[in-house]
Amino acid sequence: MLTVNVNGEERDAPRGDRNLLSFLRFDLGLTGAKYGCGEGLCGACTVLVDGQPLRSCMTTVGAVAGGDVTTIEGLAAGATFEDLHPVQQAFVDEQAMQCGYCIPGFIMGTVGLLNREAAPSSGQVREALAEHMCRCGTYQRIERAVERAAGLMRGDAGAAGGAS
Amino acid sequence: MSLSIVGDVQVGFPAVRTGYGQQTYGNTSPLVERYTWLTVGDDGRATLFAGKVEYGQNIRTGLAVEVADELRVPLAEVDVVLGDTDRVPWDMGTFGSQSTARVGWQLRKAAATAREALIAMAADVLDLPASDLEARAGRVVSKSDASRGVDYAELVRGDAVEREIAERPPVTPPSEWTVMGQTHRRRLDGIDRVTGRSKYSQDIQLDEMLFATVVRPPAYGARARSVSATAAEALPGVVSVVQEDGLIAVLAEDDEAAALGARVVQVDWDVPQGQPSRWDMPTLLVESGAEPHPMHEEGDLDAGFRQADHVLESTYYLPYIAPAPMEPRAAVAAWEGDRLTVWAGTQRPFGLRQELASLFGLDESAVHVIAPEIGGGFGAKSPYALAHDAARLARVVGRPVRIAFTRAEETMWSNFRPAALIQIKSGFTSDGRLVAWQSDAYHSGERVMIGRRGAETPYDAGNVRSLVYRSDSPLPSGSYRSLGAAVNHFAREVHMDEIAEAVGKDPVELRLHNLSEPRFRRVLEQAAEEFGWNGPHPSEGRGAGIALGIDVGSYVATAVEVSVKEREVRVHRVGAALDCGQVVNPEGARNQMEGSIVMGIGGALFEASDFQDGRLLNATFARYRVPRITDAPRIDVRFVGDEDTPSTGAGEPGIVPIAASISNAVFAATGQRHRELPIQRHL
Ligand code: FES
Ligand code: FES
Repeated sequence: MLTVNVNGEERDAPRGDRNLLSFLRFDLGLTGAKYGCGEGLCGACTVLVDGQPLRSCMTTVGAVAGGDVTTIEGLAAGATFEDLHPVQQAFVDEQAMQCGYCIPGFIMGTVGLLNREAAPSSGQVREALAEHMCRCGTYQRIERAVERAAGLMRGDAGAAGGAS
Repeated sequence: MSLSIVGDVQVGFPAVRTGYGQQTYGNTSPLVERYTWLTVGDDGRATLFAGKVEYGQNIRTGLAVEVADELRVPLAEVDVVLGDTDRVPWDMGTFGSQSTARVGWQLRKAAATAREALIAMAADVLDLPASDLEARAGRVVSKSDASRGVDYAELVRGDAVEREIAERPPVTPPSEWTVMGQTHRRRLDGIDRVTGRSKYSQDIQLDEMLFATVVRPPAYGARARSVSATAAEALPGVVSVVQEDGLIAVLAEDDEAAALGARVVQVDWDVPQGQPSRWDMPTLLVESGAEPHPMHEEGDLDAGFRQADHVLESTYYLPYIAPAPMEPRAAVAAWEGDRLTVWAGTQRPFGLRQELASLFGLDESAVHVIAPEIGGGFGAKSPYALAHDAARLARVVGRPVRIAFTRAEETMWSNFRPAALIQIKSGFTSDGRLVAWQSDAYHSGERVMIGRRGAETPYDAGNVRSLVYRSDSPLPSGSYRSLGAAVNHFAREVHMDEIAEAVGKDPVELRLHNLSEPRFRRVLEQAAEEFGWNGPHPSEGRGAGIALGIDVGSYVATAVEVSVKEREVRVHRVGAALDCGQVVNPEGARNQMEGSIVMGIGGALFEASDFQDGRLLNATFARYRVPRITDAPRIDVRFVGDEDTPSTGAGEPGIVPIAASISNAVFAATGQRHRELPIQRHL
């Protein structure tokens, strides 16, 4: 039986060529990763594999077996605001969301970016997130959220306050 | 137990006075039943019930803010139930921001009624006169003796109490608001959104549920001559292939088997020939134009043109564009005997309930529609025929069925913003005063009201005739943020820029010269100030443009700065002013303004739906470009409405002037006038 590590747990996969997004959403019930286009163009399905973002709609379970898959459900330590990952906190505090459908993808993309680059320039942020789409148009807020998250993760005191 | 506040769905909404373009977006129901709008439970928490749905406009927090303030409880103590036909008051649907404002008003009245009821109950318990009591932070306390008080939770612990929404309860005036009008960055659903806990229709899964893929025609109007399903039926995981009244669907145990099955069903399609293609549209719109509807008639047009020093005639054209919400439609249907439950991300849960009831010959009470979170709608998710298909298939196979659109299906089988051609002829004096305004607008589609929205001119031309025609529509067309208002405004506001150019006046000054309505003057002046307007040529290589408008009773203006390089327009920044009266939830309104501006940039610069002989040519994101983070400008929004003016919508107005602002700015930067969208196709 093929197994794959998802959010720290070994999970059985029906077959190696199962689409990774379908596997996560329908076989495991992890519906945080979304279907937006199915062709790698919108980023709604983004998950992390070994800490780096991957379009799950474009790959199979077999291709990631042996790696560690993290979905949005695996990011926070618990259910309260304080338990959230700093990137999640920053998206809440900048109200970087409308319908929210794109947001799990943007958050995973941002976590991947900040894993690579602790203090990204605005150009790097835009470049990293240009593969994601938010039809509600919350981009200005997303940019602010990434900046806030980077500050939180570096431990800058100023980034923590501000929101009501 | 609990305290319940009940009322019907059409009680005493205040008339919205906008001074100009007064319109009503009613919320009247044929049913005169009483519904529960608000409860206070014995845990002290309040729950509000509304037939609206959440598709990103932040209505959950917006309504909770109103209830929290009136009921004097912290925002976090308010729970919100939306869009579930078994639990919430009837509602015609979530569109036209006005109706939302009215539901908010109804809830404020319900909460004020509840507050009064709790004070009366406390008067009994504490044996104090009600006049000595006030509600504060989930308690009723004595004004004279702060040590005496009682929690709401305790007050409602006895028998269940029901109260009718009072005719004129003491609703809190804006000067005393403590929750309304404040900045609430953290939405009630914020944590659910960032943890993946928010459930959309795409996410609904039931035990025993089958995945269905409907075999869709390759072109509009195509019909199946013959179908061969043998290969599909033989695939592992496929449970059955249903063929019923033109519906062909593959049902399988998993999504991939259903999709693969649909691909191998062999269909011989009869595609009607001779359907119009995109290049036929301008001619088709004018030639098929029917039912000219006078939107604005005033004075004597001929006399006006005789007074004019200059006459300017221009034609504007806007192609179909796709709403492209991030979440493609999905629906899950489950039968229990003759009871049907459907989860569907529709903007009209009650409308869908009625459709399903009539489709299956059921009483509406046998149909339960639940609208979960909706991943964007923008008006397009009012029709939701996908849910009919899911219910039909579930009935046939006797198991719950899920259908979800692919991106291409969502684009092709949703509805587009109607294409339109608008002719404007204006007469003006050499100092730029309008004396005649004639406009003929041809909007595609059956739903005539779409093209009519925003077709009046706000300028004091004196002699006006504005007609709106209904024209044929080769593509399914329907609602889209602001309906036809963004379209009509594009033509009018580019035309005003052309007049400014013709008489050599600054575009802001030229508009002010022709505007007497103070609310229009104010948004224009305030947008110009927010932006730092300094004429159309802010700096070398940059152009600035401005436009104003009105939608759903809200006045709006946007100024933009652009640069143009190698057939790419970059919008650098936008300064906007919005007068939507009282602002109940400023952060939500700001977010909506920003979003509608970004959405409008797509239609202005690069979006157009292409089609040929009934086939859609750009149904996927590989061929249909929508704004990305790299296209997003800096946006500054200023709210300029009066505190004592009732709230009007904030979700749609932002899109109304933005395309004209951009076209005008591109003209300033390049000297090229763009009367046709999208601009980048014509650079
Ligand atoms: S769904 Fe995977 S990139 Fe769009
Ligand atoms: S918040 Fe709706 S698509 Fe991004």
